[in-house]
Amino acid sequence: MSIKKYISIFKISFAQEFAYRLNFIMWRVRNVMQILLLFFLWTTVFSDPTRVVFGYNRAKILTYVFGILVVKAVVLSARTVDVAGEISRGDLTNLLLKPINYFKYWLTRDLSSKTLNFTFAAFEMLILFFILKPPIFLQTETILLLGFIASLFLAMLLFFEILMITNFIPFWAPEMGWASQFLVIVIVTEFLSGALFPLDILPLSIQKFLYFTPFPYLIFFPIQVYLGKITGTVLLGGLLIGLFWVFVLWIAMGWIWRRGLLIYRAEGR
Amino acid sequence: MDKAIIVDHLVKNFEVIEKKPGLKGAIDSIVSPKKKIIRALKNISFTIQPGELVGFIGPNGAGKTTTLKILSGLLYPTAGFTSVLGYDPWERKPEFLKKISLVMGQKNQLWWDLPAAETLELNRAIYEIPKKEYEEVVSELVTLLEVGKLLNIQVRRLSLGQRMRLELVAALLHTPKVLYLDEPTIGLDLIAQQKMRDFIYEYNRRHEATILLTSHNMDDLMTLARRVIVIDEGQILFDGALEELVSRFAKEKIIKVSLSREDDVKKIETIGKVKKISFPEVILSVPREAVAVAAAELLQNFPVSDLTIEEIPIEDVIRKVFRGEMRRSLKK
Repeated sequence: MSIKKYISIFKISFAQEFAYRLNFIMWRVRNVMQILLLFFLWTTVFSDPTRVVFGYNRAKILTYVFGILVVKAVVLSARTVDVAGEISRGDLTNLLLKPINYFKYWLTRDLSSKTLNFTFAAFEMLILFFILKPPIFLQTETILLLGFIASLFLAMLLFFEILMITNFIPFWAPEMGWASQFLVIVIVTEFLSGALFPLDILPLSIQKFLYFTPFPYLIFFPIQVYLGKITGTVLLGGLLIGLFWVFVLWIAMGWIWRRGLLIYRAEGR
Repeated sequence: MDKAIIVDHLVKNFEVIEKKPGLKGAIDSIVSPKKKIIRALKNISFTIQPGELVGFIGPNGAGKTTTLKILSGLLYPTAGFTSVLGYDPWERKPEFLKKISLVMGQKNQLWWDLPAAETLELNRAIYEIPKKEYEEVVSELVTLLEVGKLLNIQVRRLSLGQRMRLELVAALLHTPKVLYLDEPTIGLDLIAQQKMRDFIYEYNRRHEATILLTSHNMDDLMTLARRVIVIDEGQILFDGALEELVSRFAKEKIIKVSLSREDDVKKIETIGKVKKISFPEVILSVPREAVAVAAAELLQNFPVSDLTIEEIPIEDVIRKVFRGEMRRSLKK
């Protein structure tokens, strides 16, 4: 019975995204431009097809670039970015009054956003594939594909939690919503997750440190699994660290949420 | 359960950080924040019976909306006890939320970019209303509020009055037993206000719903609320029947006299405060305890053809409440 609520939320959220068609299209165009930029950058670096840099040959680096397109669409597209505004404007009131679980509500809305973005990303990738004809690496090992899907699932949850926690800041500092979002999402997350460049070009000590933070598990780790660069016990270990962070951040998120509600003022406009 | 709402020694404090204007003020507020406690509710208590319609009145910032928000489970009370239909509002249990609704004149739940029908469908799912019941309720509400033609228009294209009525449909879809209305007629034109009032009256009667209403609209209170709670600076100044408010707060009475011929007006001013003179009628306001003496004096010394003694109109008393004059007159 309860699942019906969330199906309805999924549907209306989907309809809402379509209300801003132009906005959505511009967002997709931005993504495609980013991919083109990365594509041409790396093709230049690997103009000699036999060249291998940081363990990447031409096919793998280009798969990485295309992988970013898909993984970003699945992991980094989220509606939860609206939470901060909702709290500072006092619109949170509307949801608090309803018999729904706040986290499930936003997870559902994220899911609808991801579905839409993923559909478009897949479509864009197909077009770019035919235009650019890049040599793409196809993973065929079932274990690694399963690992890839599992790591994507973890990544989605991790990003949801990081975003949610960041968006709770306006409970304490109502005017900080946008700034904190920018800092955490655009700078920290994009940079440290491997959405701009593969993280294994960084010095080894930094890489090792990063693996203990939640960030690489958002983008870099799933793509590495797909590329077959992370296998066996390292794969399992990575999934466990990711799971650990999902768990820790979930507890933190709930705790911060309850603290926030204690001082929530339900302000009007 | 005999009481619908119990509020006992409720206290709510807000902590705010003072901000002075300008860049320096902004930096100061971060570096050395000056915290200030605002005491929004200072120990208030009241109970409300099931099916009662009670008006909350008081000047802006008196604590009316804060009380409604605490009773809906939005704000965490600093101290005191609250119970609504036997639930602790703060726990916001789903069974509790399915029985209440808070409608705020300046807050909307309708999805801005979509037709209202979409929000209604969403609420049907969220409140788990069976299809048949949903259709009955919607058709009833839509007829009462005359919004049938508006359901499939994008919300952003509607006028405020239309939107407010649709907000009400969305808020009442689950037929709440307890309804909090915060300024339900704010910004509406006279006809729309009347429609809203008729509807509230009808809803209260038909569903025996407990309704708590705040309003700055005199007509809302006079037509709807039999009982009013006057609240100011976080304290309850009065709780009782609307008519009683007058005898309790009006320190003066009104004497209307008709004079048979024009007389020295100056002389009349010694008897009481002259509120209006339009010959032959003179309206005086006289302290309650001096009214008999004043009337006798008038009859004796003036060419009076008619004389009546009246209470101050309810409107004037309510107006005083809104201006925060109640508190001052009590302190005197």
